[in-house]
Amino acid sequence: MSTPAVQHTLVDSRGSSCPGPITDLSMAYRRSKVGDVIELWATDPGVTSDARAWSDRTGNPILSLEESDGKIVVVIEIQRR
Amino acid sequence: MRQRVLILGGGSGGTILANSLDPRRFDVTVLSESDQHLFQPGLLYAAFQGSRARLVRDERRLLARHVHFVVDTATVVDLEQQWVETAGGERMRYDALVVGTGIRTDPGQIPGLAEIGARVGDYHSSVARARTLWEHLDGFRGGTIALGQATAICKCPPSPIEGILLADELLRRRGLREQSRLVFFTPYPRPYPAEPMNRIVEPILEARGIEVHTFFDLDRIDPEGATLTSIEGETIDCDLPIVVPPFVGAPITYVPGDTLDENGFVRTDQRTLRVLGSDTAFAIGDATSLPTSKSGVGAHLEAKVVARTLSGHQANFGGRTHCPLDLAGGRATFVAGSYDAPVVPAPPSRLKHLMKMAFARLYWLSLRGVLDPAFDVYFRLTEPPVTAPGAG
Repeated sequence: MSTPAVQHTLVDSRGSSCPGPITDLSMAYRRSKVGDVIELWATDPGVTSDARAWSDRTGNPILSLEESDGKIVVVIEIQRR
Repeated sequence: MRQRVLILGGGSGGTILANSLDPRRFDVTVLSESDQHLFQPGLLYAAFQGSRARLVRDERRLLARHVHFVVDTATVVDLEQQWVETAGGERMRYDALVVGTGIRTDPGQIPGLAEIGARVGDYHSSVARARTLWEHLDGFRGGTIALGQATAICKCPPSPIEGILLADELLRRRGLREQSRLVFFTPYPRPYPAEPMNRIVEPILEARGIEVHTFFDLDRIDPEGATLTSIEGETIDCDLPIVVPPFVGAPITYVPGDTLDENGFVRTDQRTLRVLGSDTAFAIGDATSLPTSKSGVGAHLEAKVVARTLSGHQANFGGRTHCPLDLAGGRATFVAGSYDAPVVPAPPSRLKHLMKMAFARLYWLSLRGVLDPAFDVYFRLTEPPVTAPGAG
């Protein structure tokens, strides 16, 4: 039986204020499987601390977290489901 | 010639819009899968206070006389050819379409939830389910109540907090709080999803001894033992699980196929409320992909924007929300924000609670547009101050 391909999911929450980005992340997480990568784009500065706390609690590491020109990009690998 | 406006859905948004359009200019049809109109916020009080208030009315009687009302279910919407097909086999053509089909509960997403809902009820589905939940709360004599939302999408975001606080109030009034444990679970990092409101809510939960489990993404429920398990494997054992079910959009097939987003909501321009990619279709209310609270207030304001646009005026939706939050004990606050003004906490008060309860009585009138001048003034006076984008 073949293993389902790893997916890289882009979640664009730009323009959405708290709690929009974490809502979108949570819903993408529900649809994900182990090995997938979720890339979250946001403009709400609150997403930085929320995504870190989410990563700590769920055990899914942040591969990168970058901010440039007001756009925050969080890349998360789903390791636990 | 009058423009044919077809409105899908006879909820708050669809009804308000239909009643707002000038019959001399528009030939208006509302297509709804039910001939009954439910005042959804009333389910909270039916479930947690045993309220027997009348929450359902005949939709036909809420619509202006000139509005055609068809009870049938839309199954296919072709935005390119401008027609809607129904379960009854009709094909309805339109000049302008407004999708206001709302969202519905979908307990099947969580194994065990359908059984729990059938047994103990819930307060987001129907009057019958809310009354079932009241029977369980009324008969509760101590133990653990676990209440929370199954997924991050929730109709009326304040409702999970309102539910746990009203449960706490009920148990205190009956002298059962000492022998009861109240657990609140949420997929969010904090009890109230929007951080500014959480500054008000979290201390209240703490003061009332309510245990909070954050980042709890409900995965399954063991209906026999009433054990809730999260995706990460965390468990909550309880005697009475009260779960806000997952929500989905209406099961309609759209052409083109990318009209719906990954959550099943209609991709909608945040300002114009046009369905993305269409010049002739709009979407309002819970059915949309808008990054705002799914609430009746939003549907109301969006319906007014679409009515103005169809009438040839320049109109945009500003993302305004204004959701009352019952904090129990006769006090309430409002969760008010917009695209340009993140949620600002408003001090809880008895007056705000009175306003929330008064609106429940005025709701039916508001559908007819009778209260529009008063609402316009109220929303202007309560406009949240614009701050830096994303400051929430």
